Amino acid sequence: MMRRRLGPARIALLLHVLAIAFAFGCGGGPPPLNLPPHAMVIRLADADDVPTLDPAAGYDTVSWTFEQAIFDTLVRYGDGNIELEPDIATAWESSPDATTFTFHLRADARFSDGRTVTSEDFRYGIERVLNPATRSRGMEYYRGIAGAADFAAHRNPHVSGIDTPDNSTIVFHLGAPDPIFAHKLAMPFASAIPRDVAEKWGDDFSRHVVGSGAFMLREWIGGQRLVLVRNPYYFAKPLPHLDAIVESVGVNQELQWLRFDAGQIDAVVDIPPAEFPYVMKTPALRKLTLAKTTVTTRYLGMNCQMWPFTDVRVRRALSCAIDRHKLIAILNGRGVVARGVMPPNLPGYDPDLEGYDYDPAKARALLEQAHLARGFEFEIWMRADQTILMLAQSIQQDLAPLGIRARLKPVAWGPFLEAIRQPRTVQSFMQGWEADFPDPENFLGALISRAQWGSNNDSFYSNPEVEQLLAQAEPVADLKKRYALYDQAEKIVVADAPWVFLYYPVTYIIRQPWVHDYVINPMRPTRFEHVWLSPHPD
Amino acid sequence: MNIRRLVTLETVGAAMVTVLVIVAIFAPMLAPHDPTIVVAPTFGDPGAPTLAFPMGTDELGRDVLSRIIFGARISLTVGVAAMAVTMTIGIAIGLCSGFFGGAVDFILMRFTDLMLSLPPLLLAMALVAVLRPSLRTIFIVIGLVSWTSIARVVRAETLAMSRRDFVVGAAALGAPSRRLIARHIIPNVLPIIVVMAALRTSDTLLLDAALSFLGLGVPPPTPSWGRMIEEATIYFRTAPWLATFPGLAIFYAVLSFNLLGYGFLRRRSQ
Repeated sequence: MMRRRLGPARIALLLHVLAIAFAFGCGGGPPPLNLPPHAMVIRLADADDVPTLDPAAGYDTVSWTFEQAIFDTLVRYGDGNIELEPDIATAWESSPDATTFTFHLRADARFSDGRTVTSEDFRYGIERVLNPATRSRGMEYYRGIAGAADFAAHRNPHVSGIDTPDNSTIVFHLGAPDPIFAHKLAMPFASAIPRDVAEKWGDDFSRHVVGSGAFMLREWIGGQRLVLVRNPYYFAKPLPHLDAIVESVGVNQELQWLRFDAGQIDAVVDIPPAEFPYVMKTPALRKLTLAKTTVTTRYLGMNCQMWPFTDVRVRRALSCAIDRHKLIAILNGRGVVARGVMPPNLPGYDPDLEGYDYDPAKARALLEQAHLARGFEFEIWMRADQTILMLAQSIQQDLAPLGIRARLKPVAWGPFLEAIRQPRTVQSFMQGWEADFPDPENFLGALISRAQWGSNNDSFYSNPEVEQLLAQAEPVADLKKRYALYDQAEKIVVADAPWVFLYYPVTYIIRQPWVHDYVINPMRPTRFEHVWLSPHPD
Repeated sequence: MNIRRLVTLETVGAAMVTVLVIVAIFAPMLAPHDPTIVVAPTFGDPGAPTLAFPMGTDELGRDVLSRIIFGARISLTVGVAAMAVTMTIGIAIGLCSGFFGGAVDFILMRFTDLMLSLPPLLLAMALVAVLRPSLRTIFIVIGLVSWTSIARVVRAETLAMSRRDFVVGAAALGAPSRRLIARHIIPNVLPIIVVMAALRTSDTLLLDAALSFLGLGVPPPTPSWGRMIEEATIYFRTAPWLATFPGLAIFYAVLSFNLLGYGFLRRRSQ
């Protein structure tokens, strides 16, 4: 997953805010909540409105936070880890060649309107994503199911590779082996969707969602507030502990912090960078924080087709010239020095990978070998964001003594993605990648392979040896063998240095002392089923 | 010698401008450090003012005082160069319009009205976004968006001058337009041009700061006061000095050019 937040949502939010300002007149706050007097309510806040609640549409952290609460998938991850756990499926098995996956569903799961969840609802959810009319970005994950192409081309009313022999069994037949297919079913795209409700509302389903998850949508006032309440039919009794989740919208980072300080918000996902050192220096606040290294890698991509980065020595020189510890210091310690493509916490991560150390003398020697002893000038593109610009300026500082003049080009997210995907257009760029599912394929295959040129492989790197290893590894179901092949590929990539591996971000959240069992997941937003609150002042 | 006669608006303004010019010219000698390098490890946690760093250090470990001193170069260069562009366009259009009158005047003045109806900051942002942000782009863009008021004032003055007897007389003796403008009109509208130039410089300084604040100014790492304030916004609660000092620097520069301009204006009307 490439980004955490949707850009255009800001504009939509602004329009919503304006519309609401007109509707209520100035000074009209949101209407009262009307929850029972002793209800257990967690209060959250965010700057932007939730982009969507439709599992076929959402592909960002904020949408997924609430989709996870409202919908169920066949399998899911643990609260604080990335191990697959049963959700609606109580058991599952795959054929030895990893082409057939069978899931057995529990019989007591019900949608928040009381109807029982069946295997048909999962089939409909995936067919909805595969239907081109839905324009879902999750489509690519389910294309491997046999008959998906025929269904998308309207040659078949159903995906022939999805079997529902009875209400509590669903079988997936794949066109080619895919040992990690079960992980793809843990993404919210593959949620159980009640067909009658989704078809009744069509494109407006997002505002009238009905799912089988622990919570259900009570109210969504665009630009103001989203309220979820407990689903009385949720199968995992007595969960959830919370009676409601209230997300206030239009509260920027600084304001969130002030409100947290005043006890008006129960948890803050983004501690403002300026406040962070203060929080860490104050023991009372520090013990309220939680930290976890996310399954994310941040890097400086260098276009291997453009001068001077066609020369591997120049790419290695840059890898030695940048002080990663300084970058992490600028982030107030919220990161781990990166040594390769794959982040820690990702299965298959190699802790012994050598990577590159900060060594300006070695960088200078490499530049001399490349006949660039006097340095050169190049351009770094990045998203126009204060933190990223700060890091880029630090890189600029590090390169200056070597005679390398980096010009910084901050641009908006949309044009940025557009530009870096064009061949021979952008010399280098600051980018990051967050895992969609815990497998090396989601890093090496998704970012480094030749097939991803013009899509996610924006350094236009390609090495036949790596290609061969990736092709070899993809169908291997034996994890040890699989990871060994990917590890071999990663070592070649690190030596070829198409990126300067910068850091693996560490995420920090802070919650009030009365919030319990709030856990960070390294790859997904926090889940709320187990969260509970002890009595506290309002 | 009467002190009160010596301490007038324009002499105070001139003295302040001189200080600014000296700081800008001798920046490498005056600044205690290189403004782009790390001098203290205050990464992500800006350092408060100390004896060694009287204005503190920023989130990238750079000395704020040195950045302010070097920032004077950018501000002054942009201020003066942009003012020159503004003046060239404004005076040319104002003179032609006022001197030739008729259709020329009508077309030029309607064009000026058109430009006046566009908000300068918005127009400047659009132009910078299309052209590439660099020092030259900045002062050309500022010049392009702020010549309108100069053109109007110069036109009014030219119009009044060209009806004066000495101009009408010279014209009757057969002097060509070029000579009339160069020998008779320009010398007489020059005082108002000087006043306008001083006053406009402070406006261009502010416009430059605004563009830098919006991230459209001179690209980093070149220190500019507007960008320094922008970078300091997230630290406003925890490290207010980061925004305060560049803010004071902008205040000083604008004040000095304004004093100079109003001083000239008052002397002229006396």
